[in-house]
Amino acid sequence: MAWKDLKNKFKRQFSDYLELPGDIMLDLPKIVLVGNQQVFIENHRGIQEYNPGLVRVVVSDKIIEVTGENLTLRNILPDEICVEGQITALTFLS
Amino acid sequence: MLFKLLAYLGGFVTIAVSEDCLEKFLNMASTRGIYLWGIANAGRNRVELKVRLSSVQPLRHVARMTRCRFQIVERAGLPFFVGRMKRRKALLGGALFFVVVLYILSSFVWFVDVTGNRSIAREQVCKAARQAGLYRGVPKWSVDTAKVEETVLRQVPGLSWVGVYVDGTRVRIKLVEKVLPPDTGQEKPADVVAVKDGLIKEILVLNGQPRVSEGDTVTAGQVLISAAVPPPDPEENLEPGEEPSEEPEQTPEPVKYVHARGIVRARVWYEDYKEMPLVERGVRSTGREITKLCMKIGGKEIIFMGPRQIPYEHFEAQTNGKRLPAWRNISIPVEFITVKYHEAKPYVHRYSKAQARRLASERALADIRSRMPAGARILKKQVQVVETNEPEDIVRVKVLVEALEEIGKERPHVADRGGSGIVDGKRGSQGNN
Repeated sequence: MAWKDLKNKFKRQFSDYLELPGDIMLDLPKIVLVGNQQVFIENHRGIQEYNPGLVRVVVSDKIIEVTGENLTLRNILPDEICVEGQITALTFLS
Repeated sequence: MLFKLLAYLGGFVTIAVSEDCLEKFLNMASTRGIYLWGIANAGRNRVELKVRLSSVQPLRHVARMTRCRFQIVERAGLPFFVGRMKRRKALLGGALFFVVVLYILSSFVWFVDVTGNRSIAREQVCKAARQAGLYRGVPKWSVDTAKVEETVLRQVPGLSWVGVYVDGTRVRIKLVEKVLPPDTGQEKPADVVAVKDGLIKEILVLNGQPRVSEGDTVTAGQVLISAAVPPPDPEENLEPGEEPSEEPEQTPEPVKYVHARGIVRARVWYEDYKEMPLVERGVRSTGREITKLCMKIGGKEIIFMGPRQIPYEHFEAQTNGKRLPAWRNISIPVEFITVKYHEAKPYVHRYSKAQARRLASERALADIRSRMPAGARILKKQVQVVETNEPEDIVRVKVLVEALEEIGKERPHVADRGGSGIVDGKRGSQGNN
């Protein structure tokens, strides 16, 4: 994995130098939280788990865990997910 | 909003999938570009989600590949609505019938309004309009507005303009009546009488026979210039070089009645009495105010806004209540009340004797001025202080004003009012100036 780390480091430095947004260059997710009611996750790789209390979304190399109450998936597009409900926590799991 | 409209137009279904294989199902569907929304838990280990009607077929493939069954729970949208309507021909026919009937009925005239008529009766206008083919129930296309306008204008006297406007099922006939000059009563005999008592200062007769002369004292209602003009005296008509016997035995002309006119100015007296205490007490508004808004239900009062206790010591309250309109015998005992409290402050003002006298006489004068007509001129003013024996803190003032003003007023001539002054064919005592 040393080669991959080196590549990532170079990419980050390159994007920092050119001031390019990370979600394009580094394939990172872009997460928008609207209060505690909505969360938009762009650039996702699918859903791992769904139930009203917990939603797990796969992103580039991590998993985003959204916990809360009465969670629903408002919509699913190939590159965007919108989760609605009373959100209590947003966690990154690697 | 737009998205919802599009979904409705294209139709969408709600499907239920078991929770166990949901993730795989969702991921595969979204990677294939199937748009899903409204994913929510429906209980009993099932999840409901919405999908477009056109995506149901590709979703079957996904379901087969993920070995995940789905059931269609609900169908919504225009395609399903149309399908349902196709089965209910009577309803569709009824709706169509309704629209057609509405269209047909809207092509008739149902109301005829007449506006702008003040003295002309509505029936008269309607009768004329009926002759031109405009009445309730006539088809709109058969109404010729220009013809109706012309007919009404010709048939109804006293109109200067008629306009006919078709406004949906309502036809408005607008009228403008001829404005005739008002009857001034120029031709009727009238006297000039005094409106108030006074001493005649000057009299200018334009028409009629004067009954008073300068320096006379008159009382209200007395005839000043009479409508009855006696025949001219033969001697007065004589001119120096003329022979008196031009028309020797002319029958005496009868008394002529004219509309008397003239200007009669007289001296009129006014008197007023005012008292002024040396110490004046009263309340004066400070300009501060507070508004209370409350609702009264029966006997209870609920305050929405404003204080429970009024913070002013002296105040004036201005209450404005709003009720629901009473219907038949039922009146709802609910009332919205807005109360405005204006803060007031008591004051005590002390005047000197001279000040009090001046103030009292000013007030008395203002009072007199308000009683005088517009063109009056004040000739003399006299202020008297009324003294009493015992000393008191009050000033009493009496103001006398002498004014010159017009006192003549035209009034229809009545044969026996005050007499015409002509008893035996002779003139009255006054000469014509």
